[in-house]
Amino acid sequence: MGLRRRRIVTPYLLLLPGLAWLVVFFLLPALNQLYVSLQTGNFEIGYRFDWNWSTYSDAISKYDEQFVRSLRYAGAATLLTFVISFPLAYFIAFKAGRFKNLMLLLIILPFFTSYLMRTVAWQTILADHSFVAERLRDVGLLGEDGRLLATTKAVIAGITYNFLPFMALPLYVALEKIDRRLIEAATDLYASRWQAFWRVTMPLALPGIFAGTLLTFIPAVGDFINAQILGTSRQYMIGNVIQSKFLVVTDYPAAAALSFLLMAALLLAVFAYARALGARNLEEAVV
Amino acid sequence: MTRRPLRDYLLGFWSVAALVYLFIPIAVVIAFSFNDPAGRFNLEWSGFTLEHWKHPFAVEGLGTAFKNSLLIAAISTTLAVTLGTFMALALVRYRFVGRGPTDFFVFLPLATPEVVLGAALLGLFITMGLATGFATIVIAHTMFNVSYVVVTIKARLQGMDTHLEDAAADLGANEWTAFRKVTFPLIAPGIAAAGLLAFALSVDDFVITNFTAGQTSTFPLFIYGAARQGVPPQVNVLATMLLVGVLGLMALNVLAQRRRARAEGAAVVPARAMVQPGLAQ
Amino acid sequence: MPHESFESALERLLAEQRHNRRRFVGRAGSAAFASTAFAAFLSACGGAEGQGEKSGTRTSASASHPKTAFDEVVFSNWPLYIDKKVLKDFKGETGAKVKYIEDINDNQEFFGKVRQPLERGDGIGRDLVALTDWMAGRWIRLNYVEPLDKKNIPNEANLRDNLRNVSFDRGRRFSLPWQSGMTAIGYDSKQTGGDVTSLEQFFDPKYKGKVTMLADAREAASFVLLLQGKRPDEATIDDVLKAIEFVDEQNRKGHIRKFTGNDYTGDLTRGNIAMAQAYSGDVIQLTADKPTLKFAIPEQGAVLWSDNMMIPQKPRTAYGAEVFMNYVYDPEVAAKIAAYVNYVTPVKGTQEILAKSDPKLADDPLIFPSAEDVSRLSGYPNLSVEEEQQMNEAFEQVAGA
Repeated sequence: MGLRRRRIVTPYLLLLPGLAWLVVFFLLPALNQLYVSLQTGNFEIGYRFDWNWSTYSDAISKYDEQFVRSLRYAGAATLLTFVISFPLAYFIAFKAGRFKNLMLLLIILPFFTSYLMRTVAWQTILADHSFVAERLRDVGLLGEDGRLLATTKAVIAGITYNFLPFMALPLYVALEKIDRRLIEAATDLYASRWQAFWRVTMPLALPGIFAGTLLTFIPAVGDFINAQILGTSRQYMIGNVIQSKFLVVTDYPAAAALSFLLMAALLLAVFAYARALGARNLEEAVV
Repeated sequence: MTRRPLRDYLLGFWSVAALVYLFIPIAVVIAFSFNDPAGRFNLEWSGFTLEHWKHPFAVEGLGTAFKNSLLIAAISTTLAVTLGTFMALALVRYRFVGRGPTDFFVFLPLATPEVVLGAALLGLFITMGLATGFATIVIAHTMFNVSYVVVTIKARLQGMDTHLEDAAADLGANEWTAFRKVTFPLIAPGIAAAGLLAFALSVDDFVITNFTAGQTSTFPLFIYGAARQGVPPQVNVLATMLLVGVLGLMALNVLAQRRRARAEGAAVVPARAMVQPGLAQ
Repeated sequence: MPHESFESALERLLAEQRHNRRRFVGRAGSAAFASTAFAAFLSACGGAEGQGEKSGTRTSASASHPKTAFDEVVFSNWPLYIDKKVLKDFKGETGAKVKYIEDINDNQEFFGKVRQPLERGDGIGRDLVALTDWMAGRWIRLNYVEPLDKKNIPNEANLRDNLRNVSFDRGRRFSLPWQSGMTAIGYDSKQTGGDVTSLEQFFDPKYKGKVTMLADAREAASFVLLLQGKRPDEATIDDVLKAIEFVDEQNRKGHIRKFTGNDYTGDLTRGNIAMAQAYSGDVIQLTADKPTLKFAIPEQGAVLWSDNMMIPQKPRTAYGAEVFMNYVYDPEVAAKIAAYVNYVTPVKGTQEILAKSDPKLADDPLIFPSAEDVSRLSGYPNLSVEEEQQMNEAFEQVAGA
């Protein structure tokens, strides 16, 4: 057994345990969802596997509203996180100097508090007669009868808040990697600061923008906690439906169908992104 | 002596505002741990007290839930870091057939919504007839943590020079020895960071845990149940303690890194890797 | 560390074993066993859910639970449903601890959590659970509960007559009510500017966005059925579906702020809403925090429900559970519980005891409804399993749950 053979085999050995774990507990469940979704029955009479594709057509026709809503909310939240994060990431990458690490730490730190506690805290902050609500009423931005909580705005705001670092950090990484000399060169060649920004910085930051969008949009589509705590059934997203169908109503075939559809749709999106940029770019941009 | 343009001040102002915005709910959580609520609901400020800090486990079931969370996090982090480190090494240091697709596959759990992951896992456990509980939570947490660990450590590895390892090989070390004496110490900070991240993710996980917990209680599950009748201030206390704990560990990691960097002398690790964001710190 | 191919490893194995055939056969034998077991496991995977025929033939009419000693009774119940002192007193009297777990927040959610072990025929780590009528009926139908040994529960004689013969458990062979309660309107008299006496006020457009309903198909439908003048327990599935349509309309108009579980209490206390479809005991308890909160049974009536104690299959101690049930059916103990939780007690003789210590409570019609009140109360709609599914599906579209 030579060194060469060992070298060829080593990566596979190193990969094996972790890969096996992922295959069994990530890939297999995904396939199993397909299997469960094609069953019929309920808990009283038991379930039978019988290629019941009608569950899928039912799922799509009944819950198209929630599907579309999830895409809308996630889209809006992704846009908002971008608007908030980009200047922040730019500032840290280019202007923060010795405060760089501190500011990065400050971005991540809040997210070591419980997700639920943060969202419940927003319930307090946005309550009907809270400080925030009253001030908005004073200024006239909120009607007398209006409320902040249990609205679409609150849900989108919650999603935006909770997914901010997923946009900010990839943006920062991409911006930070940009070779400053390229920008210098641009200005040396008589580009204005604005032109340099648009034609040099932005394109180079693109992988980060894509990565950030991906890491924000996709998990956001499946989120349901914000809708549940800050919204009402009128704001329920596809995640709420899946959670309810699985854990409350225990209608496993329908739940599995919805979950599989969601996963398939999002995987296609990820795949498309990866092809568009090259998977390596995606990874580099993320980390 | 150029004056900073207005643009810079505006950017700075925006950044600080964004950071403040990030901390508002945290401030609320911490503040209300000192509240003395009038009734069941800890929603309005009615008085300062240190009572809950003195007896953080006074609420029934909270102690068990918290303990479970820490235990699950410890086990799943250990597993995930072990599995993930080896995977990261394979993916970065070796070329082999299927590397690209494997890369992509490992990345997938990060980009999948938690509700899908949790639902799929529960579906699998039901089909297999496996009882949900402590063990299934650990399995689930290990699964998603492996991806995070791999991605974090890969970043660390990619930023590293292979000179030292090559030198070790030149000096006759076999692969295992080279790993033990050269690679591992070099990536130790990355492993620590990945472990910390995995630990934090595990302690805070709600969605996937909700699907796979059966009757076991964890800290986030407890909060979810309690949120319907009023979250007791003790929960705020524990959440704050967790936050401080993680902050402390991060600080230790950074200090250890600084000390190591000074000891190593010249920057073997390129400057860029030093300034990686929190994820790969 | 050379890496062998499988074939060479097998060769080596066989070579090693050649002089000890028995050991090899043993090893191959165990391998064969393992693979058969694995194959069986795999095939079990395929049809694991097809357990239509429920385990257990524990339908013996009279159970017999020997008086074996016990040191702990595990009881799963809804939150805010007991005076914890009663548990301490129980320990004093019997020496056994009660592990009281408040993990039932919703009937279906709890069922979802314990479904798997129940289906497999396992216990759920509980000696007692308390579930609402229709869910109790489901567990009884599915044989998930132990029959009661009435010899261990002499105080069962104190059960109110009107609760003795319920449709889901005639003769109370498997269950005993823990508490009864009413679902009606909880409101903030400051916001409503006075008392609420009719369900029509609940749906008055001037309260748009300021009312909540329960995220429970039966509750929501019953509210509307009462508004429309029908008794919920006499309603057909069509009536129920029409009622749910009405709720859907109101929800789309924005009249209903949201559908809640027990968390309407938060919104009421915070002043986010003027009225909530609420449970009687909850609101009475909240009045201590916020005096302007009141509970009213509207003129159209309300639903009277019970949460029923049952012994799930394979308990650690059926006898212990029965001793506890007997204990809380003692009117003295029942009075203590009633005074604390403010729900309708199922135990006769409680009112007289409370009249001595707390006359105000004894006179409260919400805790001791008069015969006239009771005539306005109805049970939930009675539906078959298929009709239940129809109702749930329809309501899911409305409330998303």
